Amino acid sequence: MESTSPNALADLVRRAQKGDEIAQRDLIVSYQHRIAGFVYAMTGRSDYVEDLAQQVFIKMIRALDRLQAPAQFESWLFRLARNTCIDQLRRQKLRRIFLPFGEEHENIPEPAGAVDTEELDALRHALAQLRPQDRALLALVQEGRSHAEIAEILSTSVAAVKARLHRAREHLREHYQPDHET
Amino acid sequence: MKPDDPAWRALNDHASAQLRGGFADRVLRAAHGPQAETWRQLHVHAARQLRTGFAERVLRAARAAADMPSLASQFALSAATAAVCLGAVLFLHNRSAEQADARNLAEWRQIVAAVEEIDPTRL
Repeated sequence: MESTSPNALADLVRRAQKGDEIAQRDLIVSYQHRIAGFVYAMTGRSDYVEDLAQQVFIKMIRALDRLQAPAQFESWLFRLARNTCIDQLRRQKLRRIFLPFGEEHENIPEPAGAVDTEELDALRHALAQLRPQDRALLALVQEGRSHAEIAEILSTSVAAVKARLHRAREHLREHYQPDHET
Repeated sequence: MKPDDPAWRALNDHASAQLRGGFADRVLRAAHGPQAETWRQLHVHAARQLRTGFAERVLRAARAAADMPSLASQFALSAATAAVCLGAVLFLHNRSAEQADARNLAEWRQIVAAVEEIDPTRL
């Protein structure tokens, strides 16, 4: 949706809010790749991407009529995506308490060839070392969200976002070793 | 021992042989952190995980989800069913208790009548 003007986006959102399926489809097509990237950055699992992205867009369609300001659509959508991913990670953590499987059974490494380059593999590894909240922060910055928008998405202050972002970047740099042993 | 001694040179050669190719690039990458290109690769990789027809599948799933009763209505239905069952149990219990009372009363009346017949002066 980078090439679409804010007015055109707001118009598309309003049509989708009225139940126009073509507009809903256009919104999904416009944002599916960005949401997929966000989900992958949050979970580090290729096999979660489609399922979680689908959950995000179903929530979007069901809750769209409650969105008051269509201009805030992007922030709102990424808040949905963040909450969906964090819920999934929490459920995964909870499941580990009740099921006799170790973390190593759930976090099966990507099969060979699934991740293209050493850098990407290193980035995935480095992101996995961070807290989900910090991953969300970095992924939102990569999405081009401003500090004010991120503060709104995370329900916090701009100063807190700046401080957390600084720490998250430091941690990412510490863990980012393109030749890391997996 | 001077730096150009053969022993020093051998040590340096041995040490530098331990460094794998692209050492400087790796150091720079680690020092600067992931570049924009790496983040782009991450997005490209993630986007490839979505199978063709993703939007259509989402719309179908959303329609199916809309047809399903909401959690609140499922809860209301469960609560109503439980209330009806409880009411039925209470009604049957009361009815059987009343029938038992009536039966006991009738038996007592029979006993009283029998006693009156045997010894009317005792009442």
